[in-house]
Amino acid sequence: MSQPPVNSTPGLPTVSTITHEPVLGEDAADREMIAGPTGVIEAVLRHPRRLIYQLRHGVPGRLISPLLVIAVLLIAVYGMIVGSFSGGIQWWAAPTKIAAGMFITAAICLPSLYIFACLGGSPAKLHEVAGALGGLLLLMTLLLIGFAPVSWLFSQSTESVAMMGFLHLLFWVVAVRFGVRFLFAAFRHFGLRSEAGLKMWVMIFILVSLQMTTALRPLVGRAAILLPKDKKFFAAYWLDCISAPRVESRR
Amino acid sequence: MIRLPTRAPAFNLNALLRGEVELLAGWIARWTMGQTARQTFTIVVGAGAFGAAMGSWRAPEQAFCSAVKLPFILLVTAVGNALLNGMLAPLIGVNLRLRESFAAVLTSFTLAAVILGAFSPLMGFLVWNLPRPTPGAAESVAAHSVMVLILVGMIAFAGVTANVRLLQLLRRFGGGMAPAWRLLLAWLTVNLLLGSQLSWIARPFIGRADEPVRFLDPHAMSGNFFEEVLRAGGELWIHFSR
Repeated sequence: MSQPPVNSTPGLPTVSTITHEPVLGEDAADREMIAGPTGVIEAVLRHPRRLIYQLRHGVPGRLISPLLVIAVLLIAVYGMIVGSFSGGIQWWAAPTKIAAGMFITAAICLPSLYIFACLGGSPAKLHEVAGALGGLLLLMTLLLIGFAPVSWLFSQSTESVAMMGFLHLLFWVVAVRFGVRFLFAAFRHFGLRSEAGLKMWVMIFILVSLQMTTALRPLVGRAAILLPKDKKFFAAYWLDCISAPRVESRR
Repeated sequence: MIRLPTRAPAFNLNALLRGEVELLAGWIARWTMGQTARQTFTIVVGAGAFGAAMGSWRAPEQAFCSAVKLPFILLVTAVGNALLNGMLAPLIGVNLRLRESFAAVLTSFTLAAVILGAFSPLMGFLVWNLPRPTPGAAESVAAHSVMVLILVGMIAFAGVTANVRLLQLLRRFGGGMAPAWRLLLAWLTVNLLLGSQLSWIARPFIGRADEPVRFLDPHAMSGNFFEEVLRAGGELWIHFSR
């Protein structure tokens, strides 16, 4: 690779220049090619700058597709762990709904992410923004897979739906925290001048994700029907779950 | 002083959202019919998508009506605002002619429509998660009020962001920061008063569960937008305090 180091936006100061981060591509390791699914996973975990560099200067389609496909496959695996709590139709319903829910959430939030990035001064193109969102999703799902053995252990030894729901939520919060950190790092190298809009977008993403868990309920516990008929706000649904009498059986 | 290009720069969504002063100044100074058509098209698509998303709560017919009405309201408000501010700008101390005022106001509305268009999937998701409209159901009244308040919030965010984005441009049109702020305040005030009342007259955009789907309300000229927002807030308060 002989591509030059990148100064994302010459002229106006960016968040990257303000925080004195090294210029993207200055280090030869940033410019190394990412090959295959294992390369993508390794890049998002160990060399996020390499992934960000390739999103800006490689062939974006070559990276965005693997990012999304691997993220959907991994979240489906985690969904099976979620479904294993109740078994039955949840073996396939939970992974399908969780994977579809994550994909729909990303599709709903992508246009506003692009708008907030541009309003924050970033000259990033839509496919670069989609790549950064793909990186967030992949890192999130990788962390969830890391938590999967713990989730499985608890799902086999507890009877409480509320307890399992809380545990999955806790793992999701940790995963989102690291995913968002990747997203901010990416946009710092995409010439972002103000992080205010991006912070607002993170709030929107969290709200949409949480509401998606209620819109596609039940994800944890028995499922008499595939999708709910009545509409609820996620906080109201959680309160219902917590205040409901103790379930006789999870299955 | 602004260095103006000899030709109008190409329409660039990313640069518009970033509020690139040189490019926007070029658009405004070298205003062309092609540029106006592109901006109008963007308003129709962006605001139309948002209108369709919010109207889809009541019925597909309401979605169509709102998709037609919302861009129309934005365009009429832009014309009214441009006429008034074309006269106000020189009095405030910003060197904008009527034609430039129209171009600047249309640019800010284009930006607002792009933001609204990006919010339309979020609005669609909100509609999906609200109780369906059922005549006489308390949940439907609360859902309608939630829709009113959230859409007012989204439109206000888009409008204010779009206007503030052009602040640097107004400053560079001469007169410094203080006149630019005064003109921005005039823009926002006219948008708030004219836009809100026009949208009230062109109601319904969401549609109530106990009323038939229609393009315009037969009592269009009674009441005002601010009373409706207060009423929606009151209904929501009553619903959740039961």
